[in-house]
Parts: sequence; C-alpha cells; structure tokens
Amino acid sequence: MGLFDTLRSVLGVRTDADATREADPEDLFGMSTAYLTMEADLGFAPVGAAALCFSSVDSTDFDATVDDVEEILRAGEAETGTTFYRHEDDHGYHWVVLEDDDPEDLVTSVHFAADTFVERGYGSRLLAAVFGFERARDGTRAYWLYSFRRGAYYPFVPTGGRERDNRLEFKLQSVLDGELDVEDDESYWYPLWPGTDGGHPWT
Amino acid sequence: MEWKPDWGLRGRMVLTMFLLFVLYIVFVAILSRYMGLFGIVLVMGLFSLGQFFFSDRLALYSMGARRVDAEEYPRLHAMVDRLCQQADLPKPDVAVADTKMPNAFAAGRSQKHSTVCVTEGLLRTLDEEELEGVMAHELAHVKNRDVMVMTIASFLSTLAFMVVRWGWLFGGGRNRQGGGGVVVAILVSLVVWIVSFLLVRALSRYREYAADRGAAAITGQPSALASALLKISGRMDDVPDRDLREQSEMNAFFVIPLRSGVVGRLFSTHPPTEKRVDRLRDLEGEMERR
Repeated sequence: MGLFDTLRSVLGVRTDADATREADPEDLFGMSTAYLTMEADLGFAPVGAAALCFSSVDSTDFDATVDDVEEILRAGEAETGTTFYRHEDDHGYHWVVLEDDDPEDLVTSVHFAADTFVERGYGSRLLAAVFGFERARDGTRAYWLYSFRRGAYYPFVPTGGRERDNRLEFKLQSVLDGELDVEDDESYWYPLWPGTDGGHPWT
Repeated sequence: MEWKPDWGLRGRMVLTMFLLFVLYIVFVAILSRYMGLFGIVLVMGLFSLGQFFFSDRLALYSMGARRVDAEEYPRLHAMVDRLCQQADLPKPDVAVADTKMPNAFAAGRSQKHSTVCVTEGLLRTLDEEELEGVMAHELAHVKNRDVMVMTIASFLSTLAFMVVRWGWLFGGGRNRQGGGGVVVAILVSLVVWIVSFLLVRALSRYREYAADRGAAAITGQPSALASALLKISGRMDDVPDRDLREQSEMNAFFVIPLRSGVVGRLFSTHPPTEKRVDRLRDLEGEMERR
C-alpha cells in the first residue's frame, strides 16, 4: 500500500477499490465443503434453503436476464429437485430463494444464477448470497453471507429483533477461516435482518 | 487439551532472570564506587523484602481494590473454586476494584499466596463464560508462577528509575567525588532502566500468550476468552447492526465502513489483542477439528 493509499484510508475516502478482492462467482463453490464442516464440527445442519439477493434495474435487458435465470432454474427443477421462488423484500431488494435438502444442489443453483448476472454485465447489481444453517439441539440459526461488494464471506447469527450473537459469529469465523475466504474486518459484517421474527433474511 | 508445563515460558523466565541478575551485579558494582556498598545493599535488601511480601498488597492498593468474601460475591467465588479445582491450584484470595475500566490481574509471591482481582467494569461487561475465560487466564499466571518473576524483574527497573529520579533531585555536588560521579551514576541507571524495561516487556508479552494457552486448557473454551478480549478492546462494537441493504443504498457507488476517519482508526487498532485473538482462534479451530 503506497503512501497515498494510506492517507486515503486514514481519511476514510477509500472506495470499492480496496475491497478484499474482485467478487468471483467461483467463490460460491467454497460453500460445498463449508456445509460439511458446519455440520461435522459445529452441529449446524443445512436449513434446506439458500438465496441470492440483488437490486433490480429498470431495463428490458435486465428483465430478460432474470427471465433466463428463472427459465433454467425451472428446467433444473425436474433434474435436481431444487425448487425456487422470487420474492421482493421491504427494502425493495429482489431475491431468488432456492429450496433443496441437498446443499450441493443449492450451491450449484446459487452459483449458476450469480454467474448469469455477472456474464450479462449485471455483477454490480448482486448484493449477497445467503446460506442458512440450523443447530438441532437449540434451534439456533446461523448464516454464511457472501458479499459481492467485498468478494468475501462473513458469518451472521441473528437472535431475534435486531440482535446478533457476536460470540458465535467469531467462533464460526475461527472454525471456517481458511476453508472460506472470510472477511477479516468485522466492520463490514453487515447484517441482513429477517423481515419477520423467526424468519430468514430472505423473508 | 491437557495442561502442560510451558517450557517455552520457563526457559524465557530463567534467561530473563539471569540477564537481569548480571545487569544487577554490574549496576551495584558501578554504583558502589560512588555511594558506598553498604548503603546500597541495605536499601536494596529492604526493598526486595518489602517487594516480596507486599507486592500483592501494593498491586491491590494501586488499583483501589479490596478483598471480598464469598458472601458478598457468591458467583465469583464459586467460579474461582471451580476453576482452581480444574487447574489443581490452592484457592487464591479474590479482590474487586470499583472502577469502570474492564480489567483483571493476578498478584502474589507463590501459588499459595496469591490474589486474583477483577474490576466492577469487567463483571458488568462480560457474560459468565467470558468471565470464566478471563479468570482462568489469571489463574494460569498463578499456575505458571510468572507473577513473582515479573515482580522481581520489574523491581530492578523500578530501582534504577528511582536512582535516576533522586539522582537528579539530590545530585547537587553533595558527594565527595564532586558532580561527575553522580552524572555517571545517573547515566548508568538510565541505561539499566531501559534495558531491564525492554527485558521485562519481552517476557511480559510472552507470558500473556502462555496464560491464554493455559486458560484454554483449563476451560476448554478458547472462544470464550477470545470474545472477552474482543469485548474489552471494543472490537465487538465494530460489528455493525445497520442492514446491508440500507447501507448499500447510502453508498450506491462505493462502500465506506461507517467507523472510518482518523479517530476510529486510532482507537480501534489493538495489535496485541489482534494477535492474542488470532492465536485463540487457532486453538479453537484445533479443538473443534479433533
């Protein structure tokens, strides 16, 4: 980092350029093994759903892109059994929510959708990919979020209302660090609060 | 994880003590040329005795702490009892300091005569498991017997510091050799003070890591101590609660962390805490993967 960068960072005027690195849909495949680790080492089973969050653009081309994504996901439903639905949240963001008991299929579908957006030049509209987990013994829900802005993962454990369990988040980070590219600056661990109490971030 | 004697720590303690001892001899030898050996030995002897027997009281006094019994702080005492059993230690005295600063320390000359002290701020800030981690860390200091070593080690630098200070105050040509001798004595003391300070600091860092490992062995929960450290250092406060979607609307084109700017950066960096937390996370990872 040069002197100029240091100055800019101290003054807080650095931009996207210093994100961990460029977001890359291939990063999403890291979740395949993360699913296994979460269950084997931490007792967090897949919740059977994952989702992709994006903001819409008012253009025919963008609508066509979303249509294509939907069409291929629908075609894949017969093959993999991964069902999906579209949803718009209270913030005006759009979601593609995927449901399947097999995490492998979830990862593949989320990757496919994200990759299509990027291929068509709408990578900047992608906000986050969200993968859900639940601990059987107490019903605690935990999420791994992939931020397309930062090109990194971070943990999120909402505990009702607008509260989160920092300690468990740090623990998830300590166990998965190395396996996933985890955002090491906690001030970027922005929550995606569930719209309803007891709901998922995509509800 | 089993409790293992920490040979790295022991080796370092022995080496530090040896170097300090050598420094001490040189110090006395040079000073005695200017001040008379008897006086020095007497003063130092009194000092070391005082340090040895009153170090914990001094530490408590300087923190404004008082010893508390099990009736007043039942849960704290029960916790210390549990941890001492786990760590195979005689129970130390428990003290509480009435300050808002979250802090804890151990003092004492041996495993039998030691005191662990916490501040009210710490009791308020941490949850049960985090407090357990911090208490285990302090008990690990007692178990490693590094409290006394630190006391003795810092004693020499205190002494040298006093010579420097009093030398300036009373060094006004009242000794027989004239002013030159005092200046030399002060310069020597200054060097001794700096060297001993550096030695003590290097050992001090290492003993913290050793006590962290010890705490992990006693409680089996490195993550509890890690989150206590994160809370105490204010890093927990860095985790935002503003929704990613709101945050993205605010900065449509670039992402700025909310806590940026000069002040945030000066106060939010704790390199030693960073390192300690990283090591605790590694321990946690090891335990989870077993």
